[in-house]
Amino acid sequence: MKNTAILFFLFSIIATGFIFQSCVDEQPSYIAFDAYEYASLDANGGSWHPKLLSSGSQIGIPAPYDITSAEYQAELAALKAASAQLTGEQEEAVKYWGGDGLIRWNEIARELAAKYNLAPSPDSAGNYPAPNSADPGKYPLFPFAHPPYSCRAFAYWAATEYDALISTWYHKYNFNRPAPYTTDATIVTHLPKNNLPSYPADGAVIAAVSKAALTALFPLEKDFLAAKALEHENSLMWAGLNVQSDITAGDSLGRAVWNVVKVRAGSDGLKNAQTPRPKSDSIRDDAQARLGWHWENKETPPRPVGITPLFGKVKLWNVPDVITVRPDTPPAPGSPAFEVAANELKDISDNLTTDQRRIANFWSDGLGTYTPPGHWNRFASDLIVEHKLNPLRAARVLAYLNMAMADAGISCWDAKYFYHYPRPIQAIPGFKTILGTPNFPSYTSGHSTFSYAGATVLSHFFPDETGKLTAYAQEASESRIYAGIHYRFDVEAGKQQGISVGNFSVDVARADGGE
Amino acid sequence: MYDYTLNPYSFTNHEISLFMKIIVHYCFSFFLLFTCIVSANAQTPTDATLMTKGQICIAAIYSHDSWDEYWEGALLRTNGNIGTLTRQSITPMAILGITNRISIIAALPWMKTDASGGYIKGTSGIQDLGFWIKGKALDLVAGPGNFTTHLTLGAMQPLSNYSSDYGPYSLGLGCSELSFTGILQYKLDMGLYLRGQAGYHLRGNSSIERDYYYTTHSIYSDEVDMPDAITWGVNLGIWLFDYSLKIDGDFSGLNTQGGYDIRRQDSGFPSVAMYNSSVGGEIQYYVPGIDGFSVIANTRHVLTGRNVGKSTIYSAGIAYFFPLWKSGQTEPIIND
Repeated sequence: MKNTAILFFLFSIIATGFIFQSCVDEQPSYIAFDAYEYASLDANGGSWHPKLLSSGSQIGIPAPYDITSAEYQAELAALKAASAQLTGEQEEAVKYWGGDGLIRWNEIARELAAKYNLAPSPDSAGNYPAPNSADPGKYPLFPFAHPPYSCRAFAYWAATEYDALISTWYHKYNFNRPAPYTTDATIVTHLPKNNLPSYPADGAVIAAVSKAALTALFPLEKDFLAAKALEHENSLMWAGLNVQSDITAGDSLGRAVWNVVKVRAGSDGLKNAQTPRPKSDSIRDDAQARLGWHWENKETPPRPVGITPLFGKVKLWNVPDVITVRPDTPPAPGSPAFEVAANELKDISDNLTTDQRRIANFWSDGLGTYTPPGHWNRFASDLIVEHKLNPLRAARVLAYLNMAMADAGISCWDAKYFYHYPRPIQAIPGFKTILGTPNFPSYTSGHSTFSYAGATVLSHFFPDETGKLTAYAQEASESRIYAGIHYRFDVEAGKQQGISVGNFSVDVARADGGE
Repeated sequence: MYDYTLNPYSFTNHEISLFMKIIVHYCFSFFLLFTCIVSANAQTPTDATLMTKGQICIAAIYSHDSWDEYWEGALLRTNGNIGTLTRQSITPMAILGITNRISIIAALPWMKTDASGGYIKGTSGIQDLGFWIKGKALDLVAGPGNFTTHLTLGAMQPLSNYSSDYGPYSLGLGCSELSFTGILQYKLDMGLYLRGQAGYHLRGNSSIERDYYYTTHSIYSDEVDMPDAITWGVNLGIWLFDYSLKIDGDFSGLNTQGGYDIRRQDSGFPSVAMYNSSVGGEIQYYVPGIDGFSVIANTRHVLTGRNVGKSTIYSAGIAYFFPLWKSGQTEPIIND
């Protein structure tokens, strides 16, 4: 009996510790940070050159009520009531959105990329159905947010935010309506104050652009995005930052900017990127005739078409054309240079270290994740918070980063299908990997191209971080060799391609007035 | 026929030998509930017996677990890129009688995974160290037999740094676990028994090698919150030929408490919901002429499941028990 009692006693102690641990260890679904005072306000930001609008003044908004007007006084009173006392939920929303909310929307875009990054399953007859944008809810769901889809999605979201915020800054300083808390010091605020003019509300512009752009890109998320945008806009009043007319004007400005940008999105060539099989076969046969080799999908059953064979024809953002950044022909399979690369892969695979496995997994960014461009958006978000950038300056970073990574994707895909190079599992007999081999040709490495383009652009904006960012890009690139899905020459060509692509975006940034 | 559970301290050598036989075979059931895609290892000491003080049993078991269909959520499917997934293990284990009422058990599987289809490398290595303490709580003479209850406290800890984020190729769930199992048995003096057991498994986090993953939403962490699990089982068995041969059949299962479904064409992940039910059968035979030595064979087939493989498992092993130290005077049994 005594022994049994001791057993129970020990058990209850250990169990209590365990339960305690599992309660406190709820894993975070977003990256928490404290709202900050902006490092600069960029009062001349309205004069910077947008990417797709002609200027910050292209889209007009109605002049605001004068702050002495009865209408404005009524709005002030409503704001004062809204922010005086918050419910727990409102407090949480204010803290989550942190005012402008740009970083949160970037995080939401990443989450949607991850959620939709699943390849179609074969049906019982062994055929692969394809997502259909006209019927997005029918399996396989639209979109399949693979790296090409996602890099383009991030670019449209970020470029639209940037243009919309240049317009916002233009109108803010044009109308110069002081912040409500400047006009009435008794308004309770729950976030850091700043000296930005408040009309239109930058947070509302950001919410409206995000809702419109992301709904177009992820149509099944319409309701989710509408609820998020509504909460974000409401949080601006709960926080005591903006009156209703600031928010209304911001919302309509954001929507108007997306309406300009969406014309480009509808005609940039993505629609044709996922080709029917005959076209895909002819691209393969052309490569075989030209080069003497071609890539094959090695899945069971084989997928008849690789991911977006014509993504290389999608409209570029800042690179003049893909030929400019297309690398030289890779070594032919079976050539001495190929054998060196193949032997390196076999050697690594046979002697994989713990560290190499960790690196391969850390940077895998494969199916069900936010893809390599998502990973670089995460780094950018961290740096933006660390450097306390205002939303205009933050959007500038995200816009050039994501335009460069979309250009990297387009250029890389051009090389992939132009060279149609076999993957290691196809070209090395008996070779196996520790990550799934993606459904597109090998040369050049997407991870390397995306990562070096990303590191190049972010290093321009955050020169002190160059060492760290370059190390990230290098590790991300090497990770594909450790995983067994790329040859070293894929990675090296991708690196050069990524740097060249990134520099085109840096050149545009240098000339946009925001340096 | 001796009532071995009532009077272990009065056993002769031969009688102790009989008593020991009961114990060994049940050890198998530790390994046989592992039928999940990522090999949820629901090791459950589910027997209703104890070693006598100072007795030790050493066993080694080989297990071959394979499936070519798995449940993706509720959908039973094949996957040409996996083909048949095979998980083999060799598990050394030891059971030691601390007193006549309390035994301790330890086991450490070495595993190897391999897929017949696709191009993903299998892996191999040491999996999770399991350690259990088992005590008898109740022992009553009831009619022509005995009613006993046992309680088991178990702990498991991954001993190697295998990746739990490796889909069906992973060696295990990569989390520590604390389990508590209750066992009820009614056994007739003639050797027929009916046993039921249920266990609750508290699971710690599983660490993975990336700091972002998507479950039903984004998670920014390299730690995975694991759902707890319940295991359960009912056994019907009989000892024959003066405790030389045992035949046992069972119906068992595993249910995680929480978790979520694998999405269409997504890979498995440690924290998905996992359910299964299975039928198993086992025989154990004491080889005449070698005191304390037995051979064991076991099979298990998963019948229903969710986010787990439809496994078929075959195991075989040998066990040998002997006195580790002189037993001496043991404490009297109190029927509580």
